[in-house]
Amino acid sequence: MRGFNVLLQKEFREAWRSWKFLWIPLVFALLGMSDPLTNYYMMDILNAVGNLPEGFEMLMPELMPVDLLQASIGQFQTIGLLVLMATFVGAISKERASGMATLLYVRPISFGAYFLSKFIVMSTVGFVSILAGFAASVYYTVVLYGTFEIGSLVASFFTYFSWLLFVLAVTLMMSATFKTIVATSCAFIVIFMGQMINAIVGTFWTVSPWKLPLYGVQLIRGTMEMSDFWWSLMMTIILTIVCISIGTFTMKKNASMTKI
Amino acid sequence: MMEELAKVPWAVIAPLIIVQFILMIVALVDLRKIHATNGPKILWVFIIIFVNLLGPIAYFIVGRKQT
Repeated sequence: MRGFNVLLQKEFREAWRSWKFLWIPLVFALLGMSDPLTNYYMMDILNAVGNLPEGFEMLMPELMPVDLLQASIGQFQTIGLLVLMATFVGAISKERASGMATLLYVRPISFGAYFLSKFIVMSTVGFVSILAGFAASVYYTVVLYGTFEIGSLVASFFTYFSWLLFVLAVTLMMSATFKTIVATSCAFIVIFMGQMINAIVGTFWTVSPWKLPLYGVQLIRGTMEMSDFWWSLMMTIILTIVCISIGTFTMKKNASMTKI
Repeated sequence: MMEELAKVPWAVIAPLIIVQFILMIVALVDLRKIHATNGPKILWVFIIIFVNLLGPIAYFIVGRKQT
């Protein structure tokens, strides 16, 4: 772990200077705001733009606070993850392509430290982002609908955070293994196709990382089968560690791919 | 005028306005400092100012040229 602190500082400074700590959390906050707001003002929105016929009536579903949190998490799952992955998928491969990595690789750094420093900065950005997203969503839900129980809300938050760690580990591993374009498509296929497969035939199994965001919501609802939850959480953590190890290995192997 | 302003549900709208404002300022500051962008700079100024919420985000994702 030579030079770990220096590398960590470098990564933090880079993320700070490119405003990543500011705008990605704000995007998540916007995503979190959108669902409670649109649901609450749905009738007004329809009246304003809908061109509805005279005497039109619609029965709106009675929404619980947790339904809105689930809708917000659904937003994070698609647009939020897209933004996060698109920003970070070039973390290693772009450095190789631009030749910046050469400056680092000629020094006696350990690849494990370098990979970990990148991963830690990415997960910090992810943590701040979903914190902002959850805060915005919960704020509007509390203002417009009703309150949450704080304990299960925190549990749900950390469940989502462990899923996010898995996503980021996959992204960084792909970035270490392939060139940027291939890495982007591979990471997107793993995460988004996984979600799709999970949605279509996911009823046949109960333990998988892709189910974790839903389990987080079910924790709040109180309908969670706890053994499934712990197994999924454990599997996610193990897969995250495996991804980090593979990433470190392939990063070392691909060190010769740098442009000089 | 003041009564109408008081009728606006500020608890609902204020966070949205603040977020939009911060995003716009940050994007404009960054645009001022950055060397080159994808596409002409003046175009990004208009996008950031006139496209609410999505404009600054679009700038950060595709506008910045990373070297």
